[in-house]
Amino acid sequence: MGDIFSNLMLGFSVAVTPIHLLYALIGVMLGTLIGVLPGIGPVATIAMLLPITFNLSPVAALIMLAGIYYGAQYGGSTSAILVNLPGESASVVTCLDGYQMARQGRAGPALAICAIGSFFAGCVATLIIATAAPPLAEVALKFGPAEYFSLMVLGLVAATVLAHGSLIKAIAMVLLGLLLGLIGTDVNSGVLRFTFGIPELSDGIGFVVVAMGMFGTAEIITNLELKDKREIFTAKVTHLFPTKDDFKRAWAPVLRGTALGSFLGILPGGGALLSSFGAYTLEKKISRHPEKFGKGAIEGVAAPEAANNAGAQTSFIPMLTLGIPGNAVMALMIGALMIQGIAPGPQVMNEKPQLFWGLIASMWVGNFMLVVLNLPLIGMWIKLLTVPYRYLYPSILVFMAIGVFSLSNNPWDVLVMAVFGIFGYICVKLECEPAPLILGFILGPLMEENLRRAMLLSRGDPMTFLTKPISAGFIVASLILLVIVALPALRKKREEVFVEEPK
Amino acid sequence: MRFVVLGALWAIVQLAHAQAWPARPVHLVVPYAPGGPVDVSARLLAPKLQQGLGQPVVVENRAGAGGNIGAEFVAKSAPDGHTLVMGAIATHAINPALYPNFPYDPVRDFRHVALIVQVPNVLVVNNDLPVKSVQDLVALAKASPGKLDFASGSTGSTGHLAGELFKQLTGTYMVHIPYKGSAPATADLFAGRVHLMFDNLASALPNIRAGKVRALAVTTAKRSSFVPELATLDETGLKGFDMTTWWGVMAPAKTPQPVVERLAAEVANAIASADVAERLRAMGSEAPSVRTPGDFTAFVERERKVYGELVRRSGAKAD
Repeated sequence: MGDIFSNLMLGFSVAVTPIHLLYALIGVMLGTLIGVLPGIGPVATIAMLLPITFNLSPVAALIMLAGIYYGAQYGGSTSAILVNLPGESASVVTCLDGYQMARQGRAGPALAICAIGSFFAGCVATLIIATAAPPLAEVALKFGPAEYFSLMVLGLVAATVLAHGSLIKAIAMVLLGLLLGLIGTDVNSGVLRFTFGIPELSDGIGFVVVAMGMFGTAEIITNLELKDKREIFTAKVTHLFPTKDDFKRAWAPVLRGTALGSFLGILPGGGALLSSFGAYTLEKKISRHPEKFGKGAIEGVAAPEAANNAGAQTSFIPMLTLGIPGNAVMALMIGALMIQGIAPGPQVMNEKPQLFWGLIASMWVGNFMLVVLNLPLIGMWIKLLTVPYRYLYPSILVFMAIGVFSLSNNPWDVLVMAVFGIFGYICVKLECEPAPLILGFILGPLMEENLRRAMLLSRGDPMTFLTKPISAGFIVASLILLVIVALPALRKKREEVFVEEPK
Repeated sequence: MRFVVLGALWAIVQLAHAQAWPARPVHLVVPYAPGGPVDVSARLLAPKLQQGLGQPVVVENRAGAGGNIGAEFVAKSAPDGHTLVMGAIATHAINPALYPNFPYDPVRDFRHVALIVQVPNVLVVNNDLPVKSVQDLVALAKASPGKLDFASGSTGSTGHLAGELFKQLTGTYMVHIPYKGSAPATADLFAGRVHLMFDNLASALPNIRAGKVRALAVTTAKRSSFVPELATLDETGLKGFDMTTWWGVMAPAKTPQPVVERLAAEVANAIASADVAERLRAMGSEAPSVRTPGDFTAFVERERKVYGELVRRSGAKAD
């Protein structure tokens, strides 16, 4: 324990030097900005900034890039809440209740609980990395293809709970998402599927493109219908900060979200994606008022935001301890380190303790800066909602188009976003919700990939999913969940969960 | 008369153009997503080129279809030296055999300006696998055909093809387990779910040094200066085994010769400069084996033949 203390002291002595504080500040501010701007994500930003980092010390470079990453997580929830635009996968869930809160004039409390929940999660995750990074990295290695597949089965079964409309429609949307996820190159054989000879489709459809279309564009189209009702949005703003009751409802979800996010963030390859979806599902499952979810429940904002931020930070664990990047941003960080002549891997912690502990300490510093930065900004964000829609919507559309274009500098993605916008509008009309589709879209390809890899490794023996204990555990949990959904005695409860309003 | 004047004007414009190159920012297209080694090296190169050329050099990521989208874009761009591409072993040697209706000719549609990076792959095995040498591995593979798994970053990657070549040369059978990128493959190699992998030296080196995996040999004909103690596969009995992951700057086919020469000189300067050279070495790259545009073209031609054959024999296909 004393060791950890002295290590953290070392870290803070590195992180709070003026120059490193400055780079942390630049990072989190830039991150917040790009997080708020739809479509422009941390990946593109960090890539553009890579050359600048050549001239920085490795510690300063990493501190700034890390700041951009978790700054973007904060900023992403802002646009999700205010204008229903998820900038990245984790914010999709924040849209569900956050945007509803904004519509009820409670954007302030939603944003504040995001910032506070994220800060709490960030503190806990920083401590976790400091105390238990190496053993947790070993846990991550316990997850092979079979375990991932079973975890995702559980995620998908739980996903139907995400919907607050009809169960059939939710399942239909999950399946459609799975199908859309099949587009692209088959990992095993390299064969192109459903690409219709269009080279742009050979890597599949980008997640950001679908999310922007289904949520952002569709929302704007829908709003154009409501000529007279549009002003309600801001007229009802009562208070900027959460009430006592809000805090009372949010603290437990924040704790649970932090725990779930910290764990799932460790798993490389899609683990972090599941954390916010998982946290939301969990809250809805154990809530005494599941019917409130999707209509502006503060729990539905607090839990996924905490999970998301915790996951974003613990996803550094496999990168720092094993040199294995869990997501695209981590891959970029490894690129940045390699440019600096540092080979990321198991030896970084011993050979470069200043870098390792300095980065960890700077995470806490950065999170603190984000709260300080974001809480006063809430008032300004709310003001943004008073901008007349004839200005706000076109500018959002332009930003979305720029962001989506910047993904691979290809106008194709903008067109696809437009198509999904129209499709999203049709879904709104049919009362089919986009969130289950997005989840299916994300999980589908991952599930298929891991299923087939597990089967390859077991030479075609499906028992591999049951003989591995972790995998078996997930399968059993999925079955239990299915039974709960299917049991007639529990059907009444299920109806409460799924049906939005009696017809 | 009018035509003569127009013709003269056109000639002057062309001349001015040729002299004035670069007249505007030069785009260096990276046909992959940001953050990978090709992208990183392009971003290392850009500021140096910018100094030499006196015009901004902008790195532009046009990812998709295994790099084909970006490469095709440059093949069909104006051949005026303002649009360049980081052409790689995938886009210019492997993919043409892998994809049907390939949209460009990797040799005829490009001027191959300068090779920048050449990184060996290295055969690494899980620590618990009871083999200490390539001979041990071959013996084990022969004793238990179809029991060993080799991982790779994707179907048709150099890691995959190295494995296929290994199987052919040793007459063994191992199962190929493709991943999406080498990171998840490495994780499963650590955990022992797969037994071996022909990984890029740059990403494998830290794990080898930390003792997380055991390295048996490099895939290049010559030993790597980074791990001189490591034998080559060629030495250990797999005669003629020579695979290197490479990439370099290329321009559209009709780019004027003076532009290509100037560019080649600038790139050579850039990668020879101390800081860039040092960082390329940190990525596991040796000094490039070919130094002139003409040699580079010959190199690409040769590579394309070798890998085309290998892909056909491995049966990998994208259609």
